[in-house]
Amino acid sequence: MPGPESMIWVAAVTVVIWLGVFAYCLALDRRVRRLEEEQ
Amino acid sequence: MRASTLLSESLAVLGKELTAELRSRVALNAVGLFGLTTLIAVAYQIGPYRIQEQDRPHLLAALLWVILFFAATSGLSRVFVKEEDAHTAKTLRLAARPLAVLAGKFLFNLILLASLYAFIVPLYCALMGYSVRGVPSLVLLLACGAVALSATSTIVAAIISRASGSTTLFAILSVPLVLPLLVMLIQGTRAAAGSAAVAAVLPALQGVVSLGGATLLISVYLFPVVWHD
Amino acid sequence: MTKTQLRGVLQWTLGVWLVLVILGALFYAPSALGFKGESARIVFFHVPQAWVAVLAFCVNLVASLRYLRTRNPIDDARAAAAARLGLVFSVLATVTGSLFANVMWNSFWNWDPREVSIVILLLIYAAYFALREAIPDEERRASLSAAYAVLAFVTMPFLIFVVPRIYWSLHPDTIIGATGKLKLQMESRMLQVLLGSLVGFTGLFSWLYTLEVRLARVRLARRGREEA
Repeated sequence: MPGPESMIWVAAVTVVIWLGVFAYCLALDRRVRRLEEEQ
Repeated sequence: MRASTLLSESLAVLGKELTAELRSRVALNAVGLFGLTTLIAVAYQIGPYRIQEQDRPHLLAALLWVILFFAATSGLSRVFVKEEDAHTAKTLRLAARPLAVLAGKFLFNLILLASLYAFIVPLYCALMGYSVRGVPSLVLLLACGAVALSATSTIVAAIISRASGSTTLFAILSVPLVLPLLVMLIQGTRAAAGSAAVAAVLPALQGVVSLGGATLLISVYLFPVVWHD
Repeated sequence: MTKTQLRGVLQWTLGVWLVLVILGALFYAPSALGFKGESARIVFFHVPQAWVAVLAFCVNLVASLRYLRTRNPIDDARAAAAARLGLVFSVLATVTGSLFANVMWNSFWNWDPREVSIVILLLIYAAYFALREAIPDEERRASLSAAYAVLAFVTMPFLIFVVPRIYWSLHPDTIIGATGKLKLQMESRMLQVLLGSLVGFTGLFSWLYTLEVRLARVRLARRGREEA
């Protein structure tokens, strides 16, 4: 089992980064959808 | 229907290239000059005695190809770029079918490379004290390497001549394609220098021949697209 | 279910999936024996990134070939979108691979054939965009870059299969060994996380790619209407 402090910290940072990327992609998706509907 | 055959048109294009080149000697000078200068610089500074015995096979093979490749790059893209610069490209498009243009220019680049190798390689071996045990293997490798390098360079030159035509762009596009070839050639040279048996150079030779063959085949398909746009 | 609803479900599934993959990579998968420390876990991200870089290359090839046949600008947009993502993922793969190499062998770069392959893929993508930047005319840009993409694809088999055969490789035999055969030597939990990560990253690529293509379609349609 890895040292609890360091791994949890790494996990937290990685998950936050991923959620940030994910939110950005969702926002992009929403924007593209709006553009498509305007057609 | 054209009266001339593909072969005669290709040879005509080749003839035109050779005549033009022998008249102005731009590519020959550039290639020869770069090759000779780099060779002399390396030979003077390193020579036959400064490399340790155990490092000699690797370094001598690699240095040879650095010199050859560096010299070649300066001249190989000219075949198409000069047509665009001189505005003779349109005439060429009308005068000959695309495959003939490709074949003629490929052969020209091949002759250019063969001349470069014939000039530099013996000189290199003499100046650097490079003793090659498998001379026929090496010659075979050089010949196949010239074909493969010419094949890649000709189609890339055609592509960039329709873009900006700069030598930098030629280098950027060539590097990823030529790197595996270069790696195989260096390895093959090391093998040929180390052993007289053809079996030693066979893996590298197979790689070079198949890469060259594949590139030639795909060039036949791609060239008309590139040429006629 | 409408297309939008289906898309939404898939997207949120992907979001959750990758969170699970991250947690799995860091906690669920066991520590690798013979690898120093926990940093080897980066492999769960490195391998999928390299895989996506190659996948993007294949998508680019198909789109390029299609463009050469159809001359439809949407195929060019597809090719460019795939290449853009391929560039990003090949950079990521090179960086994570380099970090892994530093943990394992204490040097960031070893000139191992597989390392060189991913860099060459990166160089191909970079050259592809350098070429595109150098051509102002759209149709010519599309056909020349498609031609280069096809040409570059021809050299890939040589990188992956021929060169490693000539050289001894110090790259750890992960899934595909030097002989090209599939080696399932990993512990099952590691394999689960790795496969999960592969699926996740492929999903991410697929989403980003589709987004770019949809955007390009909108732009093309808009331009078509303006010209009419």
